[in-house]
Amino acid sequence: MSAPSATAPSALPAAPRRDSKINRDILAVMDGISPGYLLLVAICLLSVTAAGATWIYQVYEGLGIGGYTHPTFWGVYIVTFVFWVGIAHAGTLISAILYLFRAKWRNAINRSAEAMTVFAVLTAAQFLGIHVGRIWKSYFILPYPNQRGLWVNFRSPLEWDTFAITTYATISIVFFFVGLLPDLAIARDRARGLKKLIYTALALGWQGTARQWKSHSRSVLHLSGLATPLVLSVHSVVSWDFAMSIVPGWHATIFAPYFVAGAIFSGFAMVLTVMIPVRRIYGLEEYINDYHFENMARFLLLTSWIVGYAYAIEYFIAWYSGVEPEQTTFWLRAFGPYWFSTWTMISCNVIFPQLFWFRRLRTHIPTLFVVSTLINIGMWFERYVIIITSLGNEYDPAVWGIYTPTWAELTIFAGSFSFFAMLFLLFMKFFPVIAISEMKELAIHERAHGAGQGGH
Amino acid sequence: MADFDRRDFLKLVGASAGSAAAVGCSDHVEKLIPYVVQPEAITPGNPVFYASTCSECPVACGIHVKTREGRPIKVEGNPDHPVNRGRLCARAQAAVERNYSPDRIHGPMARGDTGDFEPITWDDALARVAAAIAEAPERTRLLGGAVGPSESAILERFVQATGGSRTVYEPFANEALRAATLEVHGVTGEPVFDLTGADLLLDFGSEMLDSGHSPVEHARQWAAARDPETHPDGGARLVYIGARLSLTASSADEWLAAKPGSEGSLALALARIAAEHGAPGAAAHRSALAQVDVARIAREADVAPAALQKLGRALARAKHAVALPPGPAVTSRRAVGDNAAVLLLNQVLGGRGVRVAPTPGTGAAYRDLLALIGDMQDGRVGVLLMHDANPVHTLPAAAGFEAALAQVGLVVSFATAEDESSALANLLLPAHAPFECWGDAAPRPGIRSLIQPTLRPLHDTMAVPDSLMEIARRLGGAAARAMPASDFRAFLFAAWDDTDLHEALRAGGIYEEVAPPPVTTSASNLEITAPVMTGEGDLTLVTFPHSLLGAGEGASLSLLQEIPDPVTSVCWESWAEISKATAARLGVAMGDVLRVETSSGAVEVAAYVRGGIRDDVIAIPTGQGHRVGHFASKAGQGLAGTKRGVNAFDLLPGDGVDERGGRAFLTERAFATATGRHRRLPMQQFNDNKRGRQLGEMLTLAELAELPAGDGHDGHGNGHGAAHGGGSHEIREPFDPADDASDAQYAETFNEAGEAVAFDSPYRWGMSVDVDKCTGCSACIAACYVENNIPRVGEDESRLVRQMAWMRIDRWVGDGEATLAAGRRFYHENREQLGNTDVRNAPMFCQHCGSAPCEPVCPVIATYHNEEGMNAMIYNRCIGTRYCANNCPYKVRRFNYFDHQLTKWPEPMELGLNPDVTVRGQGVMEKCTMCVQRVQSARQDARARGEEIPDGAVQTACQQTCPSDAIHFGNLRDEHSALRRITASKRGYHALHVLNTRPGVTYLAKVDRGGVDGGKGKA
Repeated sequence: MSAPSATAPSALPAAPRRDSKINRDILAVMDGISPGYLLLVAICLLSVTAAGATWIYQVYEGLGIGGYTHPTFWGVYIVTFVFWVGIAHAGTLISAILYLFRAKWRNAINRSAEAMTVFAVLTAAQFLGIHVGRIWKSYFILPYPNQRGLWVNFRSPLEWDTFAITTYATISIVFFFVGLLPDLAIARDRARGLKKLIYTALALGWQGTARQWKSHSRSVLHLSGLATPLVLSVHSVVSWDFAMSIVPGWHATIFAPYFVAGAIFSGFAMVLTVMIPVRRIYGLEEYINDYHFENMARFLLLTSWIVGYAYAIEYFIAWYSGVEPEQTTFWLRAFGPYWFSTWTMISCNVIFPQLFWFRRLRTHIPTLFVVSTLINIGMWFERYVIIITSLGNEYDPAVWGIYTPTWAELTIFAGSFSFFAMLFLLFMKFFPVIAISEMKELAIHERAHGAGQGGH
Repeated sequence: MADFDRRDFLKLVGASAGSAAAVGCSDHVEKLIPYVVQPEAITPGNPVFYASTCSECPVACGIHVKTREGRPIKVEGNPDHPVNRGRLCARAQAAVERNYSPDRIHGPMARGDTGDFEPITWDDALARVAAAIAEAPERTRLLGGAVGPSESAILERFVQATGGSRTVYEPFANEALRAATLEVHGVTGEPVFDLTGADLLLDFGSEMLDSGHSPVEHARQWAAARDPETHPDGGARLVYIGARLSLTASSADEWLAAKPGSEGSLALALARIAAEHGAPGAAAHRSALAQVDVARIAREADVAPAALQKLGRALARAKHAVALPPGPAVTSRRAVGDNAAVLLLNQVLGGRGVRVAPTPGTGAAYRDLLALIGDMQDGRVGVLLMHDANPVHTLPAAAGFEAALAQVGLVVSFATAEDESSALANLLLPAHAPFECWGDAAPRPGIRSLIQPTLRPLHDTMAVPDSLMEIARRLGGAAARAMPASDFRAFLFAAWDDTDLHEALRAGGIYEEVAPPPVTTSASNLEITAPVMTGEGDLTLVTFPHSLLGAGEGASLSLLQEIPDPVTSVCWESWAEISKATAARLGVAMGDVLRVETSSGAVEVAAYVRGGIRDDVIAIPTGQGHRVGHFASKAGQGLAGTKRGVNAFDLLPGDGVDERGGRAFLTERAFATATGRHRRLPMQQFNDNKRGRQLGEMLTLAELAELPAGDGHDGHGNGHGAAHGGGSHEIREPFDPADDASDAQYAETFNEAGEAVAFDSPYRWGMSVDVDKCTGCSACIAACYVENNIPRVGEDESRLVRQMAWMRIDRWVGDGEATLAAGRRFYHENREQLGNTDVRNAPMFCQHCGSAPCEPVCPVIATYHNEEGMNAMIYNRCIGTRYCANNCPYKVRRFNYFDHQLTKWPEPMELGLNPDVTVRGQGVMEKCTMCVQRVQSARQDARARGEEIPDGAVQTACQQTCPSDAIHFGNLRDEHSALRRITASKRGYHALHVLNTRPGVTYLAKVDRGGVDGGKGKA
């Protein structure tokens, strides 16, 4: 065990902490409801209701209330769908891959990241329904035995997508739940009345026995193993929604790694955007500290370079291919009517993250918050650029056109953020926002071996 | 209960649940009621065709009206009719809708005390008219459009017997041409221009392919005279003289962008040059032509003298040249002189293809109408009976017709549907719709065409002659005696008594070849002066007939509003064409609203900025600007009383007449100023630069000659690409059955074991489109709409480019180049240039690809490849992911963003739907099916005979109507099919060939004939 170095701050304060304090600190988040919290929930609820009403109107009236135009058949819904699928990556990455790599700094953020994954997948999945023309027939996409001769097309990337998303959602939820079990038991022990009843049911009789702990850690390990390929596969499959087509700007082999890197990039940014205010409001500075932020900032810098590389390679290949429609599409991306979205994407995703070369800025909370928010914006625009600008100018210039989102699409788009926020707000009140058991594990580890994890 | 076992229970539960679900499924229950007494001719499910005559314009094409269970659902050309030979224009295709228009007046009405119309009985209505006429019979005036000879006879008898008078009024009546024909040839009538076998055509703005004398006939003759497959030298050249790149100019080989109004003097100049170079008919006129000052004319018309000389020499060389006289847009105050000059030019060129014979004509005379307006203003008209015309809309506001109506004692309208004129009437005696009444037409010597009803009157209406006969009967006396005893049908039959009526009804009329009498030509007065223009503006105002809406007759039909203008792609709106230089001078861009002002009026209209118009001209189409009508005005959009677009006639003076009192349209100079407002035009194509992609190909005659014969399987390219200096211009190899078998791997036809298998079907349906023949007239689009129940989406949705058309016509100017100059704003690229006619009209519809990009991406197999090579859609499976449309490189798939069928078809328009084609609902994708319902129908016939479907048994709707015969459908797997022969052409190519989609549609490249001298005069 080395002493904490300057570049790797300690994961935990040097002073050993007692389990009860950890319990108290973290579970305090669940107690009491402030007016500010209520206001936030109310705003989210209002926005979700507005989105829901818009969606019902859309089902009744038709998708035409969106801004679709003849060449652009996919719009903000698919953009937002891909965005949320991307967000959903951070949780599993942090929980599963970093778990397997034994990156201890993940412990403080894995719970909220997993929760975000689940909520983001749930949000994303809704867009599949919102986007289709006949939601009342959308079950046709499931391969179930029936007597009408209906079957699905296993060659369609959208079919793969259906499986990828449902699989990912299932694994994420199970993973999240299994990790939550010990903490649910703690919550059960502290709760009274109806709450106690619910937590008792959810905790599945967790007693904290050695045998249970053993099974638990085994489950987490195996689930991590199961979830790890999914992190790579889900967004690869989502990318194939585009890469399998012949649309100039979509038809690219780089899409799978490009999308996965982008997803991780946006997922980490979202974790930061959400956790910075949560930490501040609920005084969890002790548990989520510079050490975590620095590591996440480094991760952002790395993935920023990967997506930046992908952007550059896309343009290079478009030029190198000699295929005129491809070249035109990319030229128009940068300098055509959608130039704004492209340059927003490049500045938010490639330029601003370069601030993280500076160590001071990696731990400077306001900078982290602003840059992570910009990355979220940039990553939404990345999908906008890929989807809208490619569709806007394809092979037949007679049907080039401009897509402009309408109020309906923007309401539902905003509603998706509110839905996500609302779930997260509710999550904070019902479940421990940091994995108590893992924090304790760390504390025990620390008491036994002295402070300082940085040397790992 | 012992007998009631578990199985019975389950059966009962299943049955009751099923029936409950079945009831719950449908919105409303409709009952199929069988005929109690089935009509002899009708077998439910089988169409019945009736031969009739189109009433949409005076050309009077022969039609076959397709009816199903007593309802007309489609109009098809009558192949026996000598005018159109089975082909039709877009306006005729839209005629079905007129019968089911929501604007139709449901019964006789009278203006009540409140000023609104209130229903009355026919007895009452007829009695009121009779009473009003009886007061002062000599003050009765009958005003209306041209009608057939039998109906005209009734109208004449009526006015003669009552002592009133009749004024025939047609907005575009070729009055100047008739006057000129009388002057030059001494014959009362309009010449018939026959382009068959011509080798040089000269269009002085008649718009022969668009709104001209007989567009369907001329398009057919023109296309046949220059078919590159039968004319290795390229065949007939077309030269267009006019101020803007019109639809006709777009198909021309050369375009002299002369000043509007200079047509007559140019004709004389050309006649002189041709005479000097030995034109066949020059001898008689050489001395008269000697006074023509060619240099001065070229200068005044703003035409290069060399171009004029070149054209004149070509005319002299031509064996069969025809010059077509100016159309309405260039009918100036000197139009009779202009027309006379063109008629003279024809005689100098030998006079072939111009048949001059006495014809009845429309009888319209604008001079008489102006006199009538004067009478009305002075209170000398007691009763005005209006039929088959909408003068309030089609006359200039300055003519004062609307104000004069107020001075008339009783205004009676026989309008079928509400319009601006009927809205100002006191009494409405609605007439039958065109398909509900009897009638006849005699468009030219030798042709007598019958109109027979194909629809039982939907509303409480009466044919105009019947109404007049009833009124006459109520008047009694001489009027009653003048009328035939029974009804109009009996009168019509009596008039056709000299013919085999049964045969005439079957064939649609009686057609005889009549040899034209010998023509005498006198060229006494050749002094042609510049047109007299009023107003001070710096621009010449050209009001040209809208290709689809005409003078406004088409504006009430949603189909004609929806189909984009073939040249500008604007729909549902008016526009003002100005040149790029004019736009720069005014500081406006596409869609900026201009205020256009003449000495007679002003309108505000969005600018359409293009290269293909002279800098000193502003051109506005007629037809829009209605304030009444569900589709004609904005009433259907919930804005009752709001005009749709602007009425171009409002800019014209009331007294714009030619030398003989005919109506003139080219009379005004105009000011245009920017208003600072912008109104995005509902356009369907914003960009005419095809960027060198394989979409609308062109070959020069030399390149065509160099290409190896069509059966070489030497891979792609065939050398054509090299000629254009780009590798992307590949002319595809001809159809190869061996190659086609490998389509199986793309089409994924599987056997039960899941293995890909080769097709064993005898059919691989395919199509061909000849870009060289396509004029862009849009008849195919109209036919497709009607045949396939395609909804109209309306103005707002059209502005979002969400039209549902299964077929569109991409209009490319030149080969284009892959410029990267598109701005940060919306791309409006217009590459037109004055004098450049390299316009390629490429009809684009589902290519039925052998390796279709849309098929693998659909998650629910709603689109798939059938074993006959069709890319098929299963609407019921579609869940609307729209991935297929994204992945279609041709962008021919259309998505139902709304339930258009419910919201956009006001009653009773649904009666015109084709029962053979599924009506698509909200949220599903649709596209061209190659008229699969027609294939199925032919299959049933063939199967009944125990045969395979013979070649030619199936014609798609677009193919059937195409006036220039540019589209063909057939079986590619049949070695002897006509389609195989056509697609083997050296000109064949596949759109976006490089994507390897293996389309079932073969395009034939346009041919650059190098102008009148085959390119020899070119640099």
